[in-house]
Amino acid sequence: MAMAALRKEGRRILLSPNPAIAVRSAILSDIKCKYITGFSRAILLHVVRNRMKSVKNIQKITKAMKMVAASKLRAVQVRTENSRGIWQPFTALLGDTPSVDVKKNVIVTITSDKGLCGGINSTSVKVSKALYKLTSGSEKETQYVILGEKGKAQLVRDSKKSIALNITEIQKNPLNYTQVSVLADDILKNVEFDALRIVYNKFESVVSFIPTVATVLSPEAVEKESEAGGKLGELDLYEIEGGDTKSEILQNLAEFQFSCVMFNAVLENSCSELGARMSAMDSSSRNAGDMLDRLTLTYNRTRQASITTELIEIISGASALTG
Amino acid sequence: MASAASSAAAPFWRAAGMTYITYSNICASLVRSCLKEPHKTDALSREKVHFSVSKWAGGKPEKPSTIFSLSFSLSRDDFCC
Repeated sequence: MAMAALRKEGRRILLSPNPAIAVRSAILSDIKCKYITGFSRAILLHVVRNRMKSVKNIQKITKAMKMVAASKLRAVQVRTENSRGIWQPFTALLGDTPSVDVKKNVIVTITSDKGLCGGINSTSVKVSKALYKLTSGSEKETQYVILGEKGKAQLVRDSKKSIALNITEIQKNPLNYTQVSVLADDILKNVEFDALRIVYNKFESVVSFIPTVATVLSPEAVEKESEAGGKLGELDLYEIEGGDTKSEILQNLAEFQFSCVMFNAVLENSCSELGARMSAMDSSSRNAGDMLDRLTLTYNRTRQASITTELIEIISGASALTG
Repeated sequence: MASAASSAAAPFWRAAGMTYITYSNICASLVRSCLKEPHKTDALSREKVHFSVSKWAGGKPEKPSTIFSLSFSLSRDDFCC
């Protein structure tokens, strides 16, 4: 009976998904084992040793992942910071108008393909959902374009009806402008929009990232806004060279702006992803270390208990013989 | 041809169904192909395109298609002479 309970306990230690519970149950079984025989104590020792081994292996993996993320981050960070110069002229010229009210909205949610990187994917999904609520209304249409596997998995649950496109595997090769612009081209050809709202995590430092929304207007929306005045009203102050009309220029600008903003957004997001993965893996290796310490304590205590019991048995046996 | 194209290029590529992005990518790719050797391979590595797209209709994804290259069909040899 005690054996069966112990075996059950042992299995729970091995398979428990929650490390905190596992450790607690390990300690619980430690208390129990004070009342059980030497044989089952040997089994318990074995179980704890196995658990220690697996925790050690997990710690090795998380440490390796942290190192990989750190070394990738260094290269991507430089490129991200350089790529910021590519959208700044557009914002200077066209301004950023997140509050613009148009009929057809397309939310471009940028997430990662891989997990184990903390909360960056759920943050951008949350922001996208909030944007969806803000932009939807009567006679309005809002659609999602999702980059990355993780965002799809989260959005497919409750808003799969409004997903228009899903793009994955963009991080097979190192990100480059050509790739992102072909992707942007694909998005432009496949959805109709008055405003594109790109949601991504802007990289600030290794431990912090800011969920950000960049708005790209369609040429028609730009023209409408520029007639209404404001920042865009200054567009007429510019002289247009060559034989192109203003609407042609605006269309070219809008397309190019979208691809540039996308390029920066994708880089920023992958940079944030790597930073988040680094800190997540750092804390999980630290947790694995803590867990290992506690398990080692349990292991040693149990071993010591069995040694003490054996000694008592030997001594009392000897004293029974002599006495 | 080249001089005529530069003066009225915009209508031509727009009429061919290209966006400004495709147009500028073709131009960029042409410039890259004009580089000399040590820089050329370096620049060509920045031209790699790989991602997969799946369209969604009525809440269901369609079969994803993978895109490996720039989407224009004209090969580079048509331009370089």
